[in-house]
Amino acid sequence: MKTEPVLEIKDLDVSYHTLTDTVVALKGVSLAVGKNEALGIIGESGCGKSTLFYAIMDYLPVTASRSGQILFKGDDLAQKTPKEMTKYRGSKIAMVYQNPYSSLNPSLTIGFQLEEVSMFHHGMSRKDARQAAVETLSDLHLGDAAGIVRRYPHQISGGMQQRICIAMALLCKPDLMILDEPTTALDVTTEAVILDIIQELKDKYNMSLIYISHDIGVVNKVSDRIAVMYRSEVVEFGNQRTIYKKPEHPYTRALINCMPRAGVLKENTQLNTIPGYVSRRSAAEIGCPFVARCEKKNATCEEKYGMVERKPGHFAACDRAYATDIPDKVLAKEKGAIPEGSEPEHKTILKIDNLYRYYGPHGKRIRALDGVDLTLDRNSVLGVVGESGCGKSTMGHTVSGLMRPTRGKIIFDGTDISVSWRKRSPETLRDIQLIFQNPGRSLNPSFTIENIIGRPMLKLLGIKSKQERRKRIVDILKKVDLGEEYLYRRPKQLSGGEMQRAAVARAFSIAPNLLVCDEPTSALDASVQASVLNLLVDLQKDSGAAYIFISHDLNVINYLSDYIMVMYLGRICEYGMKTEVAGSPRHPYTEALLSAVPDVDPSLKRGEIRLQGAPPNPTKKIKGCPFAGRCHRKVGSVCDTTPPPRVNFSDTHFAYCHISPEVLNAEISVKGIEGIEAAADEEVI
Amino acid sequence: MDFLKRFAKRLGFTLLTILAMSILIFFLVEIMPGDVAQTVLGQSATEESVAALRDRMGLDDPLHQRYLRWAGGFIRGDLGESLYMRGVQINTIFWRKVGHSVVLAFTALLFYVPLSILFGVFAGVKEGKAPDAIISFIGLATMALPEFVSGIILITVFAVGLEILPIASIIPIGENLWQNLDILVLPALSITFVMFGYVSRMQRSSMVSVMKADYIRAAILKGMPRKYVIFRHALKNALLPTITIIGMNMGWLFGGLIVVETLFGFPGLGSLTMSAIKTRDIPLIEACVLFITFIFVFATFITDMLYAFLNPRIRYKRGDV
Amino acid sequence: MNTYLLQLKRSPRAIAGLTILLLWIIAALIGPSLLPYTYTGMDMNNQMVGPGEAGHLLGTDALGRDVFSRIIYGSRSILTIALLTSLLSSIAGIIIGFTAGYFGGIVDTIFLRIMDILMAIPPLVLAMVVLGILGNSTIVGLTIIVSITYTPATARVARGALLTCKSSEYVDAARIRGESHLYIMFVEILPNTIGPVIVEITARFAYSIMMIASLGFLGVGLQPPTPDWGMMVIENKSLIRAAPWTVLYPSLAIASLVIAISLFSDFVSKVMINED
Repeated sequence: MKTEPVLEIKDLDVSYHTLTDTVVALKGVSLAVGKNEALGIIGESGCGKSTLFYAIMDYLPVTASRSGQILFKGDDLAQKTPKEMTKYRGSKIAMVYQNPYSSLNPSLTIGFQLEEVSMFHHGMSRKDARQAAVETLSDLHLGDAAGIVRRYPHQISGGMQQRICIAMALLCKPDLMILDEPTTALDVTTEAVILDIIQELKDKYNMSLIYISHDIGVVNKVSDRIAVMYRSEVVEFGNQRTIYKKPEHPYTRALINCMPRAGVLKENTQLNTIPGYVSRRSAAEIGCPFVARCEKKNATCEEKYGMVERKPGHFAACDRAYATDIPDKVLAKEKGAIPEGSEPEHKTILKIDNLYRYYGPHGKRIRALDGVDLTLDRNSVLGVVGESGCGKSTMGHTVSGLMRPTRGKIIFDGTDISVSWRKRSPETLRDIQLIFQNPGRSLNPSFTIENIIGRPMLKLLGIKSKQERRKRIVDILKKVDLGEEYLYRRPKQLSGGEMQRAAVARAFSIAPNLLVCDEPTSALDASVQASVLNLLVDLQKDSGAAYIFISHDLNVINYLSDYIMVMYLGRICEYGMKTEVAGSPRHPYTEALLSAVPDVDPSLKRGEIRLQGAPPNPTKKIKGCPFAGRCHRKVGSVCDTTPPPRVNFSDTHFAYCHISPEVLNAEISVKGIEGIEAAADEEVI
Repeated sequence: MDFLKRFAKRLGFTLLTILAMSILIFFLVEIMPGDVAQTVLGQSATEESVAALRDRMGLDDPLHQRYLRWAGGFIRGDLGESLYMRGVQINTIFWRKVGHSVVLAFTALLFYVPLSILFGVFAGVKEGKAPDAIISFIGLATMALPEFVSGIILITVFAVGLEILPIASIIPIGENLWQNLDILVLPALSITFVMFGYVSRMQRSSMVSVMKADYIRAAILKGMPRKYVIFRHALKNALLPTITIIGMNMGWLFGGLIVVETLFGFPGLGSLTMSAIKTRDIPLIEACVLFITFIFVFATFITDMLYAFLNPRIRYKRGDV
Repeated sequence: MNTYLLQLKRSPRAIAGLTILLLWIIAALIGPSLLPYTYTGMDMNNQMVGPGEAGHLLGTDALGRDVFSRIIYGSRSILTIALLTSLLSSIAGIIIGFTAGYFGGIVDTIFLRIMDILMAIPPLVLAMVVLGILGNSTIVGLTIIVSITYTPATARVARGALLTCKSSEYVDAARIRGESHLYIMFVEILPNTIGPVIVEITARFAYSIMMIASLGFLGVGLQPPTPDWGMMVIENKSLIRAAPWTVLYPSLAIASLVIAISLFSDFVSKVMINED
């Protein structure tokens, strides 16, 4: 560091003490952030990144103990009294949180919550404080600042709320801003806008940033250097490119390889998984925190462990990521590992015709699905992607029978199933199964795993013998990599990943032909997500079932799907094979979506298309194209008045747009996810 | 605009409830066993005189006709004639007593609302520490005492022991309530005990959960001092649910009024209801119960509106300013 | 079970409450057979004697009846009625509340409106009017009437508990298995609502005792000569100067019982809420 760092943390330890034991939350954490530098902190749940944040601000519960130095421009914050800390908080060091709505006081106007910062820290009068607030809001590209300050938080949208929280943090021109997962709760296109704003403001205000997230792609966009945390320690610290290309610590390498990213195709590669799960760290434990799950561990893991500068400016606690004495796990698959679909005559298993689903009272009808057509083949995966309000979940619910369509037909294997579950035949119920987003809520907490998996067997397959059921349950548990001891456990005793695998086992226990997966990995850590995705791929190979995989995460969709469908406000924008939609998209919305998605590889720069505004009100009937209001390629008033026609680009690829096909073919600039067409030629494993 | 719509809707529903209640009360009371006319004339009355009285009172008319007659009278302000006190119009004795009870209820509210809020907030802010434990326990203990129990204890201490307040709440003939305000104290305090217990505990837990909210954390980490955060950020959110709770507990308050008036002999609606029941004075019972219900439903309505008015999330919708 | 016992051990207030409650239950069960006096026995030579005098532990009333014995006898009826009431109103409340919450829509709307209307009469007033006119103040009658006045409240709690669970996805998973409504309500959802239900039952138990005592006080409780704690207070109200023990001790009996149950109920609620 040529100049003095803005924040330097030395050997920070934090532990929580309960009546029975002591849990270590942070151990020996040492980091530095320079002036106008952005430091990203990544880690999965349980790594301590949130505790780090609270430890810096001295906002730990009374049961916590803290030791070490927290030097802020030379002053040790760890020695300050609570009263002294109030001078730093909000003025020299400012915070932005994950959930903007809950961080704003619902009973106070936005103006008040902004003004009090200037009034308290700078002693401004109300009038001056309001002036400062309005100016800062315009820095965040919020029009009508005067109108916003008079409103209450519930009256504005999520993206705007987060911008207001950022404005609140900027009011005193802090030296350091700490952001804790600030865009996790936002849609990907909104997130892209906010990330741009953050970068712009960092330079304009000459601030330093600490950006905490579980999403490497997002962190890559904002930060220069990255610290990787695992189970209370920083295991690696260096610049983005090195972390991605040549990590030193086995955990970093394993983590990156878990993530679906460009160049990694399910036909060629399994995702890396990390066996085991994160456990609490007790005070007695020494040595590498990752040793229990590491594949490169050897006898030296305890003694030789410690943060060392392995390369200039790059620190790691271990350098065995590419150690050759233990061979690397083979993730590559043999060619042809994924079999082709079954005979052409019986290929199509699901056909949806002009599906509509409206709900709510007249006058306020929400148009969740506004005319959707699609076909799905056996043994294939249809990825349905879109942002909140696009109708993808509603579609999953109508196909699985939880909801009845308002209009339109759903034909499954020749049978018309356009009715709700109550009216469906037992065979249909057996044939279509559903996996949910939150495994903790999709398994009944009062049942044992045996009950949970056994019940569908009893009800839908009619297997009355308890021994027979038990035998089959053990079989299917093995397939999802859970041992027999799980039979007697209840969901509360399982980790998130184990619960989701049990849910998958429950779905597959009756051999369905169609599996609807509604954001099944969105609530899971990267390493856990990888194991569930691998599992889904393997199970499809065995069973030949078709999947409808719903997600907002384009990287996951790209890894898993054979076909992709992009939705917006209840309608299809674009549909095609994965290589077509992701490799050479045609619809402006797809283009915008792809350019917003951050990738794990920091060198991959996408397009710069940014969507402004928010999706329109779902209760108003839209005469033309739903995307017209925000489209950056809007043709003209025809987009508002007439529904866009279907434009076919190939047998399998089509989109709904007014732009002429020739223009679409030539002009769409984003190259999509690179490497889709080429095989993985870079050494990414 | 939205608020007015809500107001009208709630008002409509309140009136509907009162209507439904009136039907329920009327039928409930009227279908009770026992012949009214017989009761009035006594066991030794002849069949003819009973029949004549039944005819005169219109007791043999169909039920809905009798209801409409009664309800119609009510709306016109005529509460009917007392059965027990022959020839006495209910109106003459009713309203004075209602006035007394209203004053008593008001006094109780005046005592318990500020106290519960104060102590509840204080206990919530000091969660887990000594003041919280003490206040919580006191709240639990007082909540567990039926009104007459706390009444007895209060009488024993203040009236019998210390002799500073009267045992019975009687207004000497010729005087009115305002000349005898000391008779309000013990009855109001008895009700206050129970209400304090319940409301202070609710207030405490509301305060505790507000203090745990993300926006309080955000305010503190913005550098706002703790006292300021408690008063300017937390308090308003913590008080809102309490408004609803006070409204919901008005029913309990009225039940308590009856008990307390009976214990102290206070000349109010409660003791009037008691004697009406004892004497099987049907019209009087109906008038009393309906009126109690009416006040209760209206109190709920007002607290609802107050809550909607004070809660920005309900008062302002998206787009309004 | 074990975790509950462990937590119990750490809470002196809960232990105190439970102990007092158990003492009362024991008193109710075996007390009467151990007492030297019956609840009607009138010791004419010793009317209105103070506590500790003439062999009467807590004194006698105007008719020479032993206060202590009357209190012990009275504990039987009040505990029985309160227990039955809390159980009855909880069961009825669960059935009604679950049905309303589960089916939603118009069933739920009707339910909510009816509950709103029923709750418009203060429960004590309703019970008092019905009992006063019916004159049917037997154990059965009291149980039924008080249960009815409390059912709307327990139904609300049950409905709330069900609604919390209904939005969980395991209910959806059960639906697409084709499970029947009854199965989902009582096999899937009910076990997960046990916490709030038990808290509600214990709280109702305390409220019932208060209500029954108050009804007795208002003269519509169990008729004499059966000793009813509330009735004892109103009967002897005029003696408050001359023989305060005749009113004070029944009042303290009521207070101690309700406080004990409340302490325990508080503990139960803390434990059950933390379960999640």
